[in-house]
Formats: sequence, C-alpha cells, structure tokens
Amino acid sequence: MVNNSPGPAAVAAQDLRVHRGGRAVLDGLSFEVPRGLVMGLLGPSGCGKTTLMRAIVGVQVVSGGRVEVLGLPAGSAPLRSRVGYVTQAPSVYGDLTVTENLRYFAAILGAADADVRRVVDQVGLSSQADSVAGALSGGERARVSLAGALLGTPELLVLDEPTVGLDPVLRRDLWQLFGRLASQGVTLLISSHVMDEAERCQRLLLMRDGRALADDTPQALLERTQTHDVESAFLALVDERARTTTEEVPS
Amino acid sequence: MSDTIRAELFKLRKRPTAWVLLATAVVLSQIFGYLIPYLSYRTGDAQTVGGNVPRGDVLASTLPDQLVINSIGGFPVFAGALALVLGALMFGGEYGWGTVKTLLTQRPGRISVLSGQLVALGAALFVGVAVLFALSAASSLGIALAENQAADWPTVTDLAAGFGAGWLVLAMWASLGAVLGVTLRSVALPIGLGVVWVLGIENLVSAMAGSVLTALRPLRDVLPGVNAGSLVGAVMPDRVIDPPPGVTSSVAEPRALLTLLCYLVVCAAVAAWTSHRRDVV
Repeated sequence: MVNNSPGPAAVAAQDLRVHRGGRAVLDGLSFEVPRGLVMGLLGPSGCGKTTLMRAIVGVQVVSGGRVEVLGLPAGSAPLRSRVGYVTQAPSVYGDLTVTENLRYFAAILGAADADVRRVVDQVGLSSQADSVAGALSGGERARVSLAGALLGTPELLVLDEPTVGLDPVLRRDLWQLFGRLASQGVTLLISSHVMDEAERCQRLLLMRDGRALADDTPQALLERTQTHDVESAFLALVDERARTTTEEVPS
Repeated sequence: MSDTIRAELFKLRKRPTAWVLLATAVVLSQIFGYLIPYLSYRTGDAQTVGGNVPRGDVLASTLPDQLVINSIGGFPVFAGALALVLGALMFGGEYGWGTVKTLLTQRPGRISVLSGQLVALGAALFVGVAVLFALSAASSLGIALAENQAADWPTVTDLAAGFGAGWLVLAMWASLGAVLGVTLRSVALPIGLGVVWVLGIENLVSAMAGSVLTALRPLRDVLPGVNAGSLVGAVMPDRVIDPPPGVTSSVAEPRALLTLLCYLVVCAAVAAWTSHRRDVV
C-alpha cells in the first residue's frame, strides 16, 4: 500500500464486511486510499461500490472489520465538515433554485455566501444559478449535488458515479476539476462502472462481488495483466480469480 | 444548532408549498370567520340567519371581541390538517428529495439536524398564527367600522391564551406529520394517513362515543383532535354563536393541555430515536 503524504491515510479499511439480506455485500475488504490523489473505485453494478462508500461516510452498519477516515473511525462527528459525499441520485430540493439549494447547505455548514458562487462556477452552472432545480436535467441536478459537497473545505470527497448522464465535454471538465482539487491536497474517491474513466485516476480499486480484485495504479495494472486498457485488465483479473478459485477446489 | 435553524427557516421561506399552505389557512379563516357571516348579515332580510341565529348575533360574531374564536376556531380541524401537511412535507420531503443523506453525513449530528428542523417548524407556525390573528383583527376592525359597532378587543390575557393554545394545537398536528414523515420516509403516505385521521377517523370515533357506543369515550378523550378542540374551546369562553366544528368541551382544559404537550414530546422523541438509530438509505 502507498501513502503519498504524512499522517494517516485518507481512508483505511481492514477486513471490512457488510451483510444485507443474508448476503455478503462486502466480504473482507482491505485497502488504503492515500491522501491527495484521485482514487477510482471501479466495478460492475452490484459489486458493492455504493455500500463501500456508505461505510466510508458512516451511514452503513458494518458486520465486521473497521474503516478509518482521516485517522478517525468512519462516521465520527469531527469528520462531518471534512468529508463531502455525493450520492448516486441527486440530493437537491427540486422546489428551490440552484443558488437557494446551495445557500441552504452553506448555512448548515456555516460557509460564506461567496462560497456558493465559487462552487456554482466550479461545476459550470453559473448560467442556471437562478433556475429551479426540479427543472434541470439529471446531469445538471447531479452537478448541484456535487457543488454542495464542494462547499467549505472538504479534505475527502466521496463521489458516487458523479459523471453518469453527462455529455463528454462536461465529463472532461469535471475530471479536470477533480485533478485540480487533488493537486490542492483534496483526496477524491470516485466510483464508476465506466472503465474508460479509470485512466483519469491516479490509483484504482477494482471490485467484484464485494471483494477487491486489484488495488494499484492504472499503469501497474496494465503491465501486470499485459493488457492495453483497464476494461481488458479487469476481465483478465476476473479470469485470473476464477482460475485460482478452480485450482483451490479439487474436482 | 443555530446554523441549522437559520438554514431551515431560509428553506421554509423559499419553498412555495409553505406559502401555499399559509395562504390556504388565511383564505379559509377569512371566508368562514368573516366573509360568510358578514354576507349572511348583509344580505339576509329576516330577523334570523339560517333559521335560528339572530342577525345581530351573526354580526356580533365578527366583531373584535370575538377575535380569538375567529382566529383559532378552525385550528382543531382544517388548520390542524394543513399543519400536519407542513410537518410531513418538511420531514418526509428530505427522503423524497434524497437530501437526508447529505444532511446526515456531512453536516451536524442527526439530533442537531432534527432539533433545528423542529425549532424552525415551531417558529414558522408561530409566524403563521400571528398572521392569522393579525388578518382576523384587521377584518373584524373593518366590519366594526363599517357597521358603526364598538371595537372592543379581547384582554391581553385572553389574546395570549388564545395565541398559545392555537400555536400548541398546530405544533401538535405538525409534529404528528413530522413523525409520520420520518418513520414512513415519504410525503404522500403520511399526508394521506394524517388527513384521513384528522378529517375522518377522529370525527367518526367522537360521533360514536357521543351516541351509540359510549364505551369509546375513554379512547375519544385521548385523541389528538378531541384534545385540540377542547383546549381551543376552553380559551374562548364568551362565544356569541355556536363554536365551529371540532371545537368541543369533551376534555377539561388542564388535561387537554397536558395531552397535547405529551403528543408533542412523544412525537419529537420518536422522530429523534428513529432518525438516530436507523440506517440512512
């Protein structure tokens, strides 16, 4: 495991287990997210990405193991102003305007009104600042959610599929924003099931069936699997895991 | 918590639904408290209105000394239903919009958020009651001036008792809406259940307890609407005409007051416990 900066890792999970409906959603997951980089959390739908993110922000009851965030147990009260979380579904009041939504969250956080203008600019919604959120497209509402998470000075941003439904230009702009934030010392944990977004991350955690398939840089993954893209690397790792399992169970 | 209260008040101020509910309460209060009685008085040519109410009494029921009953007479039923809708919208709406996850993960603690929301709701109801009193006062004064009648206002004590009772009745109904919103994690179902309860079940049980099945009286006497109606009835002793629907004398004032306070505390406690203990989905 790597750690790019002094102090505890942004996220450290040890043997994390979550069961829901009699099924293991996370099954003994251990990994670290070093500070100040963009970590991609990739895997097919249903592999446990959202559950893992919920455990990291402290809203998921875990069955075993532990998760620490910025050196504190996940969900600790001091973390609330240090961690930003964007859910998969937009988290905005549809009957308020973009600015009103953000002014509300800023007031709760104790952030200044100037911060509202900053985050609206950052997510590219300046021209729709006075539009009612319910009248925006799904992608625009997702950006309002993201703007809410950027209020204040979060040290860790946990973003659940933030680029779903966005056009290529907006996706590119947002990934540039993520890169800038990381260069300023913010750690970003970004989930996606779109493998080509992996190349924009500095480190990847590939998941399948609640387990980690790999935790490495994109380049190292490609070299290890001798493939040319992350999707092929993911498939190679799945095959490798299947072979290992077959060899472990004699016929 | 002060940040949460300020934020919640800001949100309430900006939400169209809050203003629609207030406007509805004002319109209903003015129509049934002043417009219909005054039109009955002005357009009637007989000595009585509706067959048995002297015209003079109808006019007297709209004058300033009847301000308390005209302001809060509708609270046990229609304004109570509107307050329940506001509570359900405010608390259940967080689940509908998906904002509860953001609120409870990034912001102050769950109890702090809930407490701030409850205080903001109470403050909004305070403003709502004040608006209804103020507009009722304006209407009654206008009628008194137009009809050359004396503008005798209720005493400060009566006004304070009426205002406090009105606020408590609305707060009780709103907290029931809030607890339904939190426990059912939605808006539509709490509103549906709540309105059916306020407008249907309560009246049904009260009617049965008062006629065919007196064994239901102990149950009737703990119902929120019956206690709300009893408290409102107790703070407006000098009535010129019959009280509005829902205003009753089934329960003595101290018990009604205590029962409403119990509902308020229990609703807040259940909402807090549910919000604190449950997974955020």
